Amino acid sequence: MNILVYGLITGIIFGFLLQKGRVLRYDRQLGALRLQDMTIVKFMLSTILVSMIGVYLLKDLGLVQLSLKPTLLGANILGGLIFGLGWGLFGYCPGTSGGALGEGRWDAIWGIWGMLLGAGLYAEAFPWVKKNILPLGDLGKITIPQILGINHWIVIAVLLIGAVGLTRWFEKKGF
Amino acid sequence: MAKVLDKGWNPYLAGALAGLLLVASIWFTGKYAGASTTYVRAIGMVETVFSPERVKQTEYLMKEAPIIDWQWMFVIGIILGSFLSAAQSGDLKLKAVPDLWESRFGPSRLKRAGAAFLGGTIAMFGARLADG
Repeated sequence: MNILVYGLITGIIFGFLLQKGRVLRYDRQLGALRLQDMTIVKFMLSTILVSMIGVYLLKDLGLVQLSLKPTLLGANILGGLIFGLGWGLFGYCPGTSGGALGEGRWDAIWGIWGMLLGAGLYAEAFPWVKKNILPLGDLGKITIPQILGINHWIVIAVLLIGAVGLTRWFEKKGF
Repeated sequence: MAKVLDKGWNPYLAGALAGLLLVASIWFTGKYAGASTTYVRAIGMVETVFSPERVKQTEYLMKEAPIIDWQWMFVIGIILGSFLSAAQSGDLKLKAVPDLWESRFGPSRLKRAGAAFLGGTIAMFGARLADG
């Protein structure tokens, strides 16, 4: 099957699940950012844990390869801070804004235009960023198991236990 | 488990199913999910209409070339999937200003549009700088 058809189908199912999880709403996104409503955090933790286990299982079986991006401390930290500022203002993120639009929250369209502009501005700034920001704290393509020098299943087990503890606390506190 | 109540599905369940979907995608196609690169490709397409030469000389727009790829269709699919889910559970409703926003900043659509546009611009710049 055509790779574009795979992309479309994967997106449709993903958008379906995002909507069913009720995580596409401005109120929910702001609720997460203000640490008042953990619905999105629960959804994301669950997705990350399942993907983490699944991907490493398939990797151990030799069926998939990891797709690592380099750890660039300067760009990651600065970019994350800027992203958070924009996310708080917009109330949707690049992945969920289309979903918000799909369920009728059409204020997302303004942010989608904004994101197109932001992408264009980054393209203009890229030569400068490449020279001045990207080299800061360039650690290359690393993973947590690799820098700790331990088996990846130990890291997965620790993260799994941590996440279960965190979510149990969420449920107890009623977040 | 998968109860279709007004409150939607349990977020742990919906999130876990999303995780399985992403793993299946990586297994079948080798494609890891993402969204923000698509905005670079899309603005490259827009700029190509006006000035194709300039786009060719912009390193970043060539690095993330203005083409429709797996992720582009994934982002379009999210819109459709959300629409289908909302329609199926009677949750589809046009809304110009979010409730929480309105309770704090009032019902002005213009104000909301301005903040969303500015926020989107800043968020995407940051997302690209952090590389996804």
